[in-house]
Amino acid sequence: MEEESGEELGLDRSTPKDFHFYHMDLYDSEDRLQLFPEENTRRRKEVVQAERANESTGAGDGKAQRDLQEEVEELVHLYGLEDDHELGDEFVENMPRMGVSEYPPYGMKRRDPAREQRDWRLSGEATEAEDLGFGGWGSAGQCQDLREVYRYTHGRASEEYECYVIPEEEDEEEAADVFCVTCKTPIRAFQKVFDEHKEHEVIPLNEALESAKDEIHKNMYKLEKQIIDMENFANHLEEVFITVEENFGKQEQNFESHYNEILETLAQKYEEKIQALGEKKKEKVEALYEQLVSCGENLDTCKELMETIEEMCHEEKVDFIKDAVAMADRLGKFLKTKTDVEISTQPDFEDQTLDFSDVEQLMGSINTIPAPSAPVINPQTPNSATGSSVRVCWSLYSDDTVESYQLSYRPVQDSSPGKDQAEFTMTIKETYCSVTDLVPNTQYEFWVTAHNRAGLSPSSERAVYVTAPSPPIIKTKEIRSCEEAVLICWESGNLNPVDSYTVELTQAESPEASGVTESVVGIPTCESLVQLQPGQSYVIYVRALNTGGPSTRSEPATVHTIGSYFRLNKDTCHPWLTISQDGLTILRSERSTPTKEPPPSDTHFTRCVAVMGNLIPVRGHHYWEVEVDEHLDYTVGVAFEDVPKQEDLGANCLSWCMRHTFASSRHKYEFLHNRTTPDIRITVPPKKIGILLDYENSKLSFFNVELSQHLYTFSCQPHKFVHPCFSLEKPGCLKIRNGISMPKHVTFY
Amino acid sequence: MALKQISSNKCFGGLQKVFEHDSVELNCKMKFAVYLPPKAETGKCPALYWLSGLTGTEQNFISKSGYHQAASEHGLVVIAPDTSPCGCNIKGEDESWDFGTGAGFYVDATEDPWKTNYRMYSYITEELPKLINANFPVDPQRTSIFGHSMGGHGALICALKNPGKYKSVSAFAPICNPLLCRWGKKAFSGYLGTDQSKWKAYDATHLVKSYPGSQLDILIDQGKDDQFLLDGQLLPDNFIAACTEKKIPVVFRLQDGYDHSYYFIATFITDHIRHHAKYLNA
Repeated sequence: MEEESGEELGLDRSTPKDFHFYHMDLYDSEDRLQLFPEENTRRRKEVVQAERANESTGAGDGKAQRDLQEEVEELVHLYGLEDDHELGDEFVENMPRMGVSEYPPYGMKRRDPAREQRDWRLSGEATEAEDLGFGGWGSAGQCQDLREVYRYTHGRASEEYECYVIPEEEDEEEAADVFCVTCKTPIRAFQKVFDEHKEHEVIPLNEALESAKDEIHKNMYKLEKQIIDMENFANHLEEVFITVEENFGKQEQNFESHYNEILETLAQKYEEKIQALGEKKKEKVEALYEQLVSCGENLDTCKELMETIEEMCHEEKVDFIKDAVAMADRLGKFLKTKTDVEISTQPDFEDQTLDFSDVEQLMGSINTIPAPSAPVINPQTPNSATGSSVRVCWSLYSDDTVESYQLSYRPVQDSSPGKDQAEFTMTIKETYCSVTDLVPNTQYEFWVTAHNRAGLSPSSERAVYVTAPSPPIIKTKEIRSCEEAVLICWESGNLNPVDSYTVELTQAESPEASGVTESVVGIPTCESLVQLQPGQSYVIYVRALNTGGPSTRSEPATVHTIGSYFRLNKDTCHPWLTISQDGLTILRSERSTPTKEPPPSDTHFTRCVAVMGNLIPVRGHHYWEVEVDEHLDYTVGVAFEDVPKQEDLGANCLSWCMRHTFASSRHKYEFLHNRTTPDIRITVPPKKIGILLDYENSKLSFFNVELSQHLYTFSCQPHKFVHPCFSLEKPGCLKIRNGISMPKHVTFY
Repeated sequence: MALKQISSNKCFGGLQKVFEHDSVELNCKMKFAVYLPPKAETGKCPALYWLSGLTGTEQNFISKSGYHQAASEHGLVVIAPDTSPCGCNIKGEDESWDFGTGAGFYVDATEDPWKTNYRMYSYITEELPKLINANFPVDPQRTSIFGHSMGGHGALICALKNPGKYKSVSAFAPICNPLLCRWGKKAFSGYLGTDQSKWKAYDATHLVKSYPGSQLDILIDQGKDDQFLLDGQLLPDNFIAACTEKKIPVVFRLQDGYDHSYYFIATFITDHIRHHAKYLNA
């Protein structure tokens, strides 16, 4: 047995097809045991190992091929193909015999060169068979042939105790060095000059060898593919086989139970009929007997009368007359009683119609099925809904026959349970339905019943489906951006809460490529900070999501990642200031301002006439510019959001500002933080101030944009995000320019 | 025009060198220091000239200001010449620290006995740049100038007298209006004679008034506790007023607590190097 297991192992490795096993197991294994003595067995195993070692160190193709075969075999094992003898044998019946003939040489080649020759021939045949378009199974066998050939031609050198005559080696001994293409044979170079090859096309032998190898490899590849295809096909057949078995088995059971039922019913009917028949018979017999008895009694009476009359006739006249009168009366009475000679009961059957209707129904029910059981409604498939529709799915029990379903639904309303919502019902043939014209972001309750000609099923469980939300509405006026990111806010667009939002970004540079390049998903709130590439334009959409699915896209918003873009925050605005529609111009009008200061506030400035901008909370560089009038008194800079609104900008640790005052035709520039300023004089009043906020280097720099002149740099350590701030100490106007790229000269600071 | 290398020291990846050459303009041997940043190994770099103050030589700046790191980072070749001719054996040249040796005031002298040697203006604006352009990897189109005290005066007048020649100019505590200060009066009368109209050609405040308006961004740092400021030798306010009137861009920073020393220079040298780099590397 040891030998056999070794052999199986070896074959398992190399045999691509299960049916080879059968032949081995069925026909060969025992023979082999007898054929090979113990010693040979051991040797053979060594050989197998040597061959395998050779194979693994040999060409990569061989290895790949083996891996593939192992895989194939695993599949075979997995699907239990090799255990299915019936199936296997069926296949083998229709197979070329090469698999069978191939096997024995495997064990015998060593001692039988003639057999080996045959094997070569066989493989040749196999090749031919393949060329002729032989079926897949055949080619699989052939594939093994090829590989064995390969193994024998390449692996033999390692076998130390056996020697074979190899055609290739013989060729080498003849020292052929070129290949005649016309004759398809290797020749020696000088033959080219003299021989019949003179006019023939000749190529170097190596080249010929290479092309031949290529050809073989190509064929091997084709064969491998075919093996896989056929394996798959076989597995598919196997599945079909199983299904057929199952289906027919089921039907068999079905028939059996039905026919048994019918037979039982018939037997019962028979019993009933027989019993009824017996009773009827008894009844009739009894009736006849009774009639017979009464008839006999009558007869007796008649006879007695007759005798009495006869006796009377022999009497004397007086007695006769006397008795005759009495007799006449008696006779008259007797004759008056009607003698019933009608047969009270008929000997034949009364009309005995056999009622087979229930049997017929049973017979009929062999092919019809009872009313279906309640369908099972599926929970909602995520992302299957739209804003106005859901796709409802359900399933039936496999034994049920259903002609149609009735799908009912109504909106789920927690708020007003007393008020019944209208129910809707529809009839559907399929086990799914897209229900349309629904309200967005709303829960609906669905249930379904199945119907066939036998009747209506109970209702399914109720399942709650939800429609997708309405699209959100982007607050385009609140978009803030910088070179690396955008902060985008939106309104939900839905009354009920939604699960999350998705932001979709498309680079606007390539309008024809409409595909979404990036999505940010699972955003719980109505705003999102999205990382972007600098210097690009993006079109941004937002979708709202619930379990039902995503909404349609919101209206698009366009964002340019050029410079930092912000708008003024009107909530912080001092009452005396007016902010323009675009949120970028600050106006303090000339009209006489009220003398009374507004009451203190935490949100908007009350003392200094200032307003803040909404800068995106991103650490990095932010640059913006402010157009000023050179005679205007203004303050520009940055401040924390919670800077005291009752204090002047720059009068605390929470703000850093450049202040300009113009008095008696002198310009004064202060760079204020915590009420202190360096002493700096500027000879040319800037008309446009550039402000660079650099979180990375903790700097805030001011520039005269027109001159590219650096004015001052604060070293500040903003521990949290700051916002641009602006104030006007006198009536006038400040105009902010942002969303612009940073001039090169500011990059030095 | 032969250059003789006096020293060479590696500094922030580049080389701080000192050379000696025979100046034609000054008729004497002159030393100058040149810093070659690492970038100069692979290509031409902008040139930034530093003019030292009274009593200075080429050594003060290169040993005390700590400019090397910034120059290395911005890739600037920095040239620091001596402040005056030396060893000319002119009578009285070593009598005082604020005139003669170490106090050339960056003018071309017209008076005897100085006019042969004391031609520092021509040396700084003509001879030295030619020498540097010929011998070092610098881009002649990108040149700036700065200095300290008397050198600040020199830098300002060189820039104001040659619109467009220098991309930018800056100064530490410059003598802004020599016509009106004792140092200036002494030096100008000695080098230029008594005709004060000639002096105006070397007075920054006066030069501003006739400056044709080619854009020049001037950065000036001034220590608030500078004794020479308090002494009325520097007079920056006059210069600021002139520039304000003529709309010449100046940022003048009065630095609280700083004096006239190299400690003051070292504190703000990085700002100045960056100021020049902004224009030289634009």
